[in-house]
Amino acid sequence: MKAAGTERLRAAWRSVVRSLLILATCILGQGCRQQEDAFPPNKVFAKRLELQQGVSVESAHKEVQLLLRALFGTPNQPRWPAAIAAADGQTPQSLVSLTRLERAAGAVRSNEEGVHWGLYREHCVACHGVAGNGLGPAAALLNPYPRDFQMGVFKWKRTPRGEKPTRDDLHRVLVRGVPGTAMPSFLHVDREDREALVDYTIYLAVRGEYERRLLQWAVTEVDWEGGEHLLPRQLLDAASGGEGAVAVESLDDELLRPLQQILQQWRRAEEDPLLLAVGDAPLPFSQDQEKALLSGAELFQGTVVGCAFCHGPDGKGAAQVNNFDDWTRDYTVMAGINPLDAEQLAPLLEAGALKPRPAMPRNLTWGIYRGGDELVDLMARITHGIDGTPMPSAPLQPQNPQGLNVEQLGDLVRFVRSLAGRDQGAGKGDWEPERGSMP
Amino acid sequence: MTECQPAAKDVAGPAAASAGPKIIHRLAVGLTVVVFPLIWVGGLVTTYDAGMAVPDWPTTYGWNMFAYPLSTWLSGPFDLMVEHSHRLLGSMAGLVAIALLIVAYRYDGRPWFVGWCVLLLLAVIAQGILGGVRVLFDERVIAKVHGCVGPAFFAMAAVTATMASSWWRRGAWQQVATGAGGRKRTVAVISSVLLAIVFLQLVLGAQLRHLTGWETHRQFTALTHAHLGTAGLLAVGVVVVALLAWLLGVERSVRRPAMALVGLVLVQLALGGGTWIVNYALPWQELNKMLASYTIHAKGFVESLIITAHMATGSLILAVTAVTVARAWRCRWVALRGSP
Ligand code: HEC
Ligand code: HEC
Repeated sequence: MKAAGTERLRAAWRSVVRSLLILATCILGQGCRQQEDAFPPNKVFAKRLELQQGVSVESAHKEVQLLLRALFGTPNQPRWPAAIAAADGQTPQSLVSLTRLERAAGAVRSNEEGVHWGLYREHCVACHGVAGNGLGPAAALLNPYPRDFQMGVFKWKRTPRGEKPTRDDLHRVLVRGVPGTAMPSFLHVDREDREALVDYTIYLAVRGEYERRLLQWAVTEVDWEGGEHLLPRQLLDAASGGEGAVAVESLDDELLRPLQQILQQWRRAEEDPLLLAVGDAPLPFSQDQEKALLSGAELFQGTVVGCAFCHGPDGKGAAQVNNFDDWTRDYTVMAGINPLDAEQLAPLLEAGALKPRPAMPRNLTWGIYRGGDELVDLMARITHGIDGTPMPSAPLQPQNPQGLNVEQLGDLVRFVRSLAGRDQGAGKGDWEPERGSMP
Repeated sequence: MTECQPAAKDVAGPAAASAGPKIIHRLAVGLTVVVFPLIWVGGLVTTYDAGMAVPDWPTTYGWNMFAYPLSTWLSGPFDLMVEHSHRLLGSMAGLVAIALLIVAYRYDGRPWFVGWCVLLLLAVIAQGILGGVRVLFDERVIAKVHGCVGPAFFAMAAVTATMASSWWRRGAWQQVATGAGGRKRTVAVISSVLLAIVFLQLVLGAQLRHLTGWETHRQFTALTHAHLGTAGLLAVGVVVVALLAWLLGVERSVRRPAMALVGLVLVQLALGGGTWIVNYALPWQELNKMLASYTIHAKGFVESLIITAHMATGSLILAVTAVTVARAWRCRWVALRGSP
């Protein structure tokens, strides 16, 4: 009894001392520490692979960083190499433009009146982190945690579950912000700057996802013990000599294939046949209101779509509280680790991972929708689910004969709004996203 | 060092009767009055990340700072206006500091005071150069130091005004009660400790504010907790000082700023909470519908106002604490010497 008490005291004391030490190093150290112009590597994923495979990932990790640096440059000098751009179609609608990337990258600066550079570091880095891994300085104190772009998964979009968001989706998040979270609205930032930030977000997401795929491949497929390498010899020499651009043509197809797949996914999103547009939203109460609400309630509480299973029959949201989102599952469940087991978690937290928090279903009676409160947004939530979270997409006809038909979908959308007393007449009026000429 | 002057020299002699000390006092008050908006605008510079809106220094886009066209400056982009105003106000503070030194040199009979004014001028010059270097090298570390020296300078200016006041010159003797020296010492010592803590709190705040992005979330979390802990300590500290000043019956001139501090710290706590909310939102939004529906607007007007006010109030607290300390020690000094 007494021993346990002292032990706890000692632990508390140790944590106080550790905090003080961290504090001191961070105040004193900042003066001397040189900031390296390099993206922080994905240590959490590397640690997960290490635990999963029971091998050291050190050398794989190093070579992956070399390749990434050669292809994507550094936080100050981004690259979007020609060969990738070619694979990227090189159309005027190319996924990202290097000019815009350069605007968003690097330190905060201005070269002429009113033109801003270093936008990502000015606006986003405190939460999303230099590499877009969602581990910015403020991350641990936010709920929900800032998005980790590196998994290439986004919540608030109108493309089907499992697909990438469109540029419009990302831009809409920047304009609107995410209510009730730390994600701000950047309405007061110039449109041109926001566009550059969208490019940079995609850049970080592509780079981060490619890093994960490469690392996984390098750990599982390359025989490091047997002296094999991920990169060809001459590339290793060139890259470690600080040599700039690597001739991408000289790289194995196998190395570049994951990158091309990722880019294809991003491009596909823009033309997705299931991408929802404002016109697809159900009209608010086109027919009998009462009947629609009854039908909606039935669906909500029924077993076909099972909304109540998580959100509770009254929609208050407390029914399902021990689920975790994909960003958390990635370094816990996927690695066979119980997110609630402090001991198993320790090495991952040590690598920088954030403490797992359960993904809570939304309290729908408040009528606050993080993904936007247009009818089409709700429709997208229900038909496509919310990527990265436990919230599934509802089964729909005709793909699924047991699923909802269009009318029922409309009823469900209206019922969800009615949970928050937002059922009277027309919605707020559909907000047409700032579409427009992309240079 | 300079405090060890014989007391008699503290009285400015015949000059005290002339207009000199009055002008000195007015200039010192003027300096304080100029520096406060300077601090606000400086805060805006950081809030809007406008520090780098003008890439050169001491010129503004190649123009001599003072000749930069008024139209471009006032109607130009907001961040440019903020940064340029900051530079102009800064120069003004420098000019007032020069005037103060000249007048003090001519009319103030206290050599230590003249020395202090030299120090003040050096400080404002150093701060200006720090600001310039921050622009030229875009160094966040320098930005932090610049951000901490600013409030320190403001406090120095306020203390200068105290030392130039007729209250100081007269020697605060009206209320000197014999045998009260020990109590005065208590208040003086405790308020000095408070001053150190206030400054530490400012330094912590500057760390939180000037992020590079390379800090780990552990560091930031530790810093935030330290800033919160120190806030709690300060809240207790100001109440203790105010209570002591009240209970021990020290002079009104010490008691009053000590009481004002309690109010200022209350305001500051509210502003601090607000600053967190408009930067990072509260993590408990499921508790309250209002929290759940709030969307932060980056660079929004209200947001910037709250953040900047938090920083400016911090500086004000530092200055008022410094004045309390200066007055408390002055009283103690006079109580010891028995007469001016
Ligand atoms: C104060 C912290 C903060 C800042 C600053 C911030 N974000 Fe976020 N961001 C978040 C949080 C928290 C989320 C998660 C919201 C959620 O899960 O609903 C998020 C989510 C996102 C998403 C994902 C939306 C989705 O559909 O999943 C994108 C994209 C994004 N942020 C981009 C940016 C960009 C670009 C910037 C800078 C212009 C930025 N953020 C600045 C905190 C922040
Ligand atoms: C497996 C559990 C689960 C089921 C089933 C489920 N949801 Fe959700 N729902 C969630 C979670 C978790 C969230 C919060 C997602 C987030 O913000 O990370 C959510 C969020 C929402 C939101 C808020 C979207 C926004 O923009 O903030 C709506 C609306 C919603 N659900 C409606 C429904 C409807 C309607 C159904 C039935 C078709 C349903 N949910 C079924 C788990 C579920």
